[in-house]
Amino acid sequence: MSNVRQISVFVDNKPDQAAGAMRIIKESGINLRALSLADTADFGIIRLIANDTEKTVDILRAASYAVNVTEVLAISIPDSPGQLSRVLDVLGNDNVNVEYMYSFLGTSDRAVSFVIRVDDNAQASEALNRAGIIQLTENDIAEM
Amino acid sequence: MEKYWNKEIECASREEMKKLQDERLVVQVKHVYENVKYYRDLMDEKGVKPEDIKGTEDLHKLPFLSKADLREAYPYGLLAKPLSDCVRIHSTSGTTGKRVVAFYTQNDVDMWEDCCARAITAAGGTNEDVVQVAYGYGLFTGGMGLHGGSHKVGCLTLPMSSGNTERQIQFMRDLNATILCCTPSYAAYLGETVRDMGLTPDDLNLKAGIFGAEPWTEEMRRSIEQSLGIKAYDIFGLTESSGPGVAFECSEQSGMHINEDNFIPEIIDPETGEVLPEGEVGELVFTSITKEAFPLLRYRTRDLCRLSRKKCSCGRTLIKMAKPMGRSDDMMIIRGVNVFPSQIETVLIEQGYSPNYLIEVDRVNNTDTLDINVEMNPDKFSDKVKDIQKEERALAGAMKDMLGINPKVHLVSPKSIARSEGKAVRVIDKRKLHD
Repeated sequence: MSNVRQISVFVDNKPDQAAGAMRIIKESGINLRALSLADTADFGIIRLIANDTEKTVDILRAASYAVNVTEVLAISIPDSPGQLSRVLDVLGNDNVNVEYMYSFLGTSDRAVSFVIRVDDNAQASEALNRAGIIQLTENDIAEM
Repeated sequence: MEKYWNKEIECASREEMKKLQDERLVVQVKHVYENVKYYRDLMDEKGVKPEDIKGTEDLHKLPFLSKADLREAYPYGLLAKPLSDCVRIHSTSGTTGKRVVAFYTQNDVDMWEDCCARAITAAGGTNEDVVQVAYGYGLFTGGMGLHGGSHKVGCLTLPMSSGNTERQIQFMRDLNATILCCTPSYAAYLGETVRDMGLTPDDLNLKAGIFGAEPWTEEMRRSIEQSLGIKAYDIFGLTESSGPGVAFECSEQSGMHINEDNFIPEIIDPETGEVLPEGEVGELVFTSITKEAFPLLRYRTRDLCRLSRKKCSCGRTLIKMAKPMGRSDDMMIIRGVNVFPSQIETVLIEQGYSPNYLIEVDRVNNTDTLDINVEMNPDKFSDKVKDIQKEERALAGAMKDMLGINPKVHLVSPKSIARSEGKAVRVIDKRKLHD
């Protein structure tokens, strides 16, 4: 299993809300490896992967943010047409439901990385393995 | 074993109490008629003379006083003693924008503090206790009232006033406070802060809390009791009558005993002014029968509640008033339906949310809208948008079951709704801007 811990933060859909959370993270010297923001008319959810999950969670909770940690999958695929579609086919054929996904920067300019949130990590991980798709560990991401 | 501050009064038979009330009422009506022109005019207008009032059964003949009268007579119009006999002034918080000032002679202060001493004793207080008074001190009656009552009982009194929450908790721990007095919303905030500081109720020495000055629900009581590890007692009062201590709760926690040797309660139909039979819900009216400087007769409190003479397990015979459903001022009429903030609070606590909320009422295209901002419970937070939206819909559904109308619920960040150190502001009614 190579699940990666993702931190989600609840923010109001108001000016400076997301910036406030980012400021706290910046001041603590934590490095963010991946980030996406889902927003609705009322609220937003910042999803991120940091090089130090415990510390990030602690400082955000101390600042009264609602925070939760979920395990997600991270993959690295070649930067060429049709690759993402192939990943989704692999998961779809195995009846894995993708809740959301987002891309993030890797170290190679010939590969792209994605965070994938699915309803069944074990099943998805196995399907990806069978298809020879590279999965990243939390360590891999921290060292990027 | 139940302890009383003044057993003779608190456990008097109905006959003894009525006799005392009759005597005091007759004297008081005469005192007011002779010294308060404003009220004399109201009595004359109604054709009532002091000699028409022979006992409590004649109370209904007297004219009412309302908040509007108090504003009109501001500041000295209802004063019944020369200022040289008065020793103190208090004022209402002006939450509804209308300030009222009340005057006290030394006897008035003594009577009021005696009422507070009864409340502290009923909450288990003795001279062994350390009472932390975290009500605001100053014009507001909360701080000075419980402070004086605490002195009377002989408790070691910590006059903290409100605010500076971490220091409150530090003193509470270092000096082993056993009884906390403040508004229920501040008690809830203190409980929340205790938890945030990584402490548990076991780190505190508190055993009881006496909370009042704003309406609160049974659910909020249980939540405060858990967070601070105490038994929480309600206390009721109003500046117009003296301050906290007009009525207080005993160990039974099923309504507040009214200090009827000083205040005679009535329940009236708020529309017609008719006195309602015991047990019916209506507007609470008080007649002060011992106050000297500011003796209000038949003052309409705008609090909606019911009275009960059912026998109480604590042994007190003083009549009990149910927890007010809220001031008639707090009641909102939204799409023709009566809504109290306390109903919303009940739903929130039942559903596992903090009782910090903000209600916004507005009118869009001639239809009332009700929006309720609720702080996200971090334990219920999910990384999926649809889960949070589902939670908002579930809360709105529970609100609709309670209120009969459909609100919009918005989850907002924890701690983003301002905490109150005194009386909480829960409602913003923007409809008034359009009128």
